[in-house]
Amino acid sequence: MIGLMKSMATTMKHALDGSTFTVEYPEDAPDVSPRFRGVHKFSQERCIWCRQCENVCPNDTIQIVQDDQRNGEQYNLHIGQCIYCRLCEEVCPVDAILLTQNFEFTADSKDEFVYNKEQLKNVPWYKGIDPLESRNPDRGAWIGEGDGEVDYQ
Amino acid sequence: MGTVQLFPEFVSETLGLSGVLGDVVGSLVAAAVVGNIVLAFTGVAGPWAKRKITAAFTDRIAVDRIGPFGLLIIPAAAVQLLAKELIVPEGVDRPTWDLAPLVLPASALLGFSVIPMGRLGPVNLQIADPEVGLALVFAFASIASISLVMAGYASNNKYSMLGGLRAVAQNLAYEIPLIVTAMSVVIFAGTLQTSGIVAAQSDVLFSVGGFDVPTWYAFVNPFAFVLFLTANMAEIGRNPFDIPEAPTEIVAGYQTEYSSAYFVLFYLGEFVHIFLGGAILAVTFLGGASGPGPESIGFIWFVVKLWGFFLFTQWARSALPRVRIDQLIEIGWKGMLVLSFANLVLTAVIVGVIA
Amino acid sequence: MSLEVPDTTETDEVPERTPDELAALLGDLVIDRDDHLNAPGFVIRPDAVQETLSRLKQEAGYDHLSLVTAQEYENRYESIYHLKKFDDPTQEVSVVVPADKDRPVSESGEAVFRTADWHEREAYDLIGIEYDDHPDLRRILLPETWQGHPLSMDYDKDRPQIATLPEHANPLADHHRDAESDTMFLNIGPHHPATHGVLHLKTILDGEQVIDVEPDIGYLHRCEEQMAQSGTYRHQIMPYPDRWDYISAGLLNEWAYARAAEDLADIDVPEYAQVIRTMGAEMCRIAAHMLALATFALDVNGDFTATFMYAINDRERVQDLLEDLTGQRLMFNYFRLGGVVWDLPEPREEFFSKTRDFLDQLPGSVEEYHDLVTANEIFQMRTIDTGILPPAVAKDYGATGPVARGSGIDYDLRRDDPYGYYDELDWDVVTEDGCDNYSRLLVRMREVEESAKIIEQCVDLLEDWPEDERTIQANVPRTLRPDDDTEIYRAVEAAKGELGIYMRADGTDKPARFKIRSPCFSNLQTLPEMANGEYIPDVIAALGSLDIVLGEVDR
Repeated sequence: MIGLMKSMATTMKHALDGSTFTVEYPEDAPDVSPRFRGVHKFSQERCIWCRQCENVCPNDTIQIVQDDQRNGEQYNLHIGQCIYCRLCEEVCPVDAILLTQNFEFTADSKDEFVYNKEQLKNVPWYKGIDPLESRNPDRGAWIGEGDGEVDYQ
Repeated sequence: MGTVQLFPEFVSETLGLSGVLGDVVGSLVAAAVVGNIVLAFTGVAGPWAKRKITAAFTDRIAVDRIGPFGLLIIPAAAVQLLAKELIVPEGVDRPTWDLAPLVLPASALLGFSVIPMGRLGPVNLQIADPEVGLALVFAFASIASISLVMAGYASNNKYSMLGGLRAVAQNLAYEIPLIVTAMSVVIFAGTLQTSGIVAAQSDVLFSVGGFDVPTWYAFVNPFAFVLFLTANMAEIGRNPFDIPEAPTEIVAGYQTEYSSAYFVLFYLGEFVHIFLGGAILAVTFLGGASGPGPESIGFIWFVVKLWGFFLFTQWARSALPRVRIDQLIEIGWKGMLVLSFANLVLTAVIVGVIA
Repeated sequence: MSLEVPDTTETDEVPERTPDELAALLGDLVIDRDDHLNAPGFVIRPDAVQETLSRLKQEAGYDHLSLVTAQEYENRYESIYHLKKFDDPTQEVSVVVPADKDRPVSESGEAVFRTADWHEREAYDLIGIEYDDHPDLRRILLPETWQGHPLSMDYDKDRPQIATLPEHANPLADHHRDAESDTMFLNIGPHHPATHGVLHLKTILDGEQVIDVEPDIGYLHRCEEQMAQSGTYRHQIMPYPDRWDYISAGLLNEWAYARAAEDLADIDVPEYAQVIRTMGAEMCRIAAHMLALATFALDVNGDFTATFMYAINDRERVQDLLEDLTGQRLMFNYFRLGGVVWDLPEPREEFFSKTRDFLDQLPGSVEEYHDLVTANEIFQMRTIDTGILPPAVAKDYGATGPVARGSGIDYDLRRDDPYGYYDELDWDVVTEDGCDNYSRLLVRMREVEESAKIIEQCVDLLEDWPEDERTIQANVPRTLRPDDDTEIYRAVEAAKGELGIYMRADGTDKPARFKIRSPCFSNLQTLPEMANGEYIPDVIAALGSLDIVLGEVDR
């Protein structure tokens, strides 16, 4: 019986202290950590069309179309297929693709989740935070001298 | 007790009717009022209060967007539930399958006919006050288990059948201790009439610092009160005895195959049963509608006691694990039954010696 | 077990045999040697599997069949039985069983190790090797109507997988109805509130009592092994381990891959990164165990229990920390080969103080759970002495993790096969001897406290770490091409038990075979042992106490 009483007392204590853990979501938006990985933002001005992001992407989320002079024409990213691993941002030598903290996106069909470069450019910063400063990506390991064969692609 | 005017008589007198017509109209109006009060409780409890209470226990907010405190979720939920498609599975045994959801709320509502819900102003909210009131309530309430078996058997679903069978086993095991414990109250009060039982609890047991503790049987015989409370929880199938539904084991038990309006009826019936359980508890152990203040606000005290019991069931649900079916039966037959008979005998001896 | 060869290399005094001694023990069963990076490997005759395994088990003490890997080469099929010892998992041996290319048949090891049952069924299902003497050689992950074996070389992936109508006929329609019998067949799942995902339990009931239960898995099979085989070692595999055991145990899973791949490619991890890894992994363990507690309470208490929400709240707090550290709440992708991707978040002091706040409130929470759950008499009534798993049976089935430790098996890879920074820290392996549902829960709750101890020590270390020595990644080439035909099997202690990865390199930048040893897969196999003869509610409780994640069972 004492155990039952203890259980009852514990829940009643939670009921009476009046604090809630959940928040009223849209009005009371959660704090997202500066490193959080959300929808991508793409900057065509920065992009050098090296296609490393397309190459590293583990599930072919990024599709780049170039003309015969290797100038970039299209940059498509299926944000519904993306697994938000951030490898594209990690390999990008010029910070042309970034993952914002924006996690709020909706669409009526899967196709609408295929963002072209204009849509990617217009993805808003979440609460105006530019994640690049807080993330401070360390590329030392990428461009350093490896012990064995080093492949810069 | 012919001295107290019952609700139907009040109605027919107010309308100036007499004879058979007066009886019929008075009874119908009184039944409609009481029934709607109970259904209104259920309407508040199901979609709103239950959520809010559970949320309080689990540090959440719950419904608060539609209307003040989210109260408009009640009509919204009603529309939503009723607008759903009624799915009739293949192979169900009709009309048993259709009748089951009607029997459950009906049995519970019938039980309220003899409950003395106290006075509200000049009105005494009790529809009937037969000599055998308490026995009648238990008889009405136990019809519920028939409904559960009907639903379980007719659904053509193995989970439903398991739920229905569990319901029978459980009701058999707990109805006897429940009624035997209630008998000890009857011995104290010397009557089966519900108003008489309430009236017998209006004396002063003792006074503490100017505050009179009444002779509610919960104070007179707390042991019987705990027994009755436990058996009552099992009777209405609430935690830790919610095994006829046991969602994590047998999906939803007897109501697995019900949807839309039928589901609402089951849901409704269960809540009315909780309130009926609270009403029986209030009448037998908590002095019915008595409380501080004038007698004319007795109904408010009664409502407080009903909701107190409802709160208790929700509290237990948030805190207590569910017992296993064999343990439940064991507790019922080997524990509660023995204890309730011991209580009965002891009460009889004490009352016999004192009186 | 004979103990005639005393060995001095190990402190816990389990004699280790040299490969030559093992070869002598096996005698003419061995036809060749095929050593792996982690263990000596013996190629044996395909008709001598039982004899080999039983000699190794009885006479050399290899009592843990960790994994059966099957693969197809250009000229042969091959099954590898990865054996270990529960007393000392660093002592390993691989039994390699070749099978004929045209008629891939080898003897089943099921008679020696019960756990081989499911492992061989999976090998049959995905690769196509048939096992003689197997009691029940059916497909396990794919539907029974599936055409072909997807990981075999000649698999035609364009072939339509259309099952004809007769195969969809209701098998229970007529002939299964039997007026004589008293039993009832009940499908629990694949859509059921308490199966923790899409699991299907075929149960046979006598009243409320369970006579037989057979888990039917594969509903969440996502070809994780094949996906890993088509990803590059360096980057593309790491995001996926998060998705095996997706109950926030991501870093623990990533570590399994990282450990195997780092040993395969001979990469050293800086100490500082190891400390961060250890801390992150233990945070994940707390999060995973909190969910295990929460869902177990849900199974036993009913679906409105407050314990569930309280445990989820605590899990949220850990996830906030993990989000600060890794940038994601579940799918972390934080480890890299040779280290971790990011240093601790700046400002470091804030992260440390948040972590310490969490650790400070944790004992209070655990106390609360004990009040709510373990001290509750009804809960004790429900869980003590139900779902019994004797230690010998647990070992036979290859059960690991809290399930094994709840049966009193003192086996924890963090201590017994140390990796990361664990051997430098002060913590204990938790075991309980009850062998029941209650013990398994208690082990998890106590492990949360041990994990908190580890995190605290890591935070202390990280706080004092000199600024110029904070190397988070070793210098790793951008493309890894391990030598052709190197094979490795490495395991770590994940939230659910021993999570192992077998990899075979073929000289390219992608693994030729990538095999996941899922702890849940082996643990779930013990369910019939625990559940038969119990009541339905106990089956549910036993299933909850196994703490399976179907994403990891089915992969």
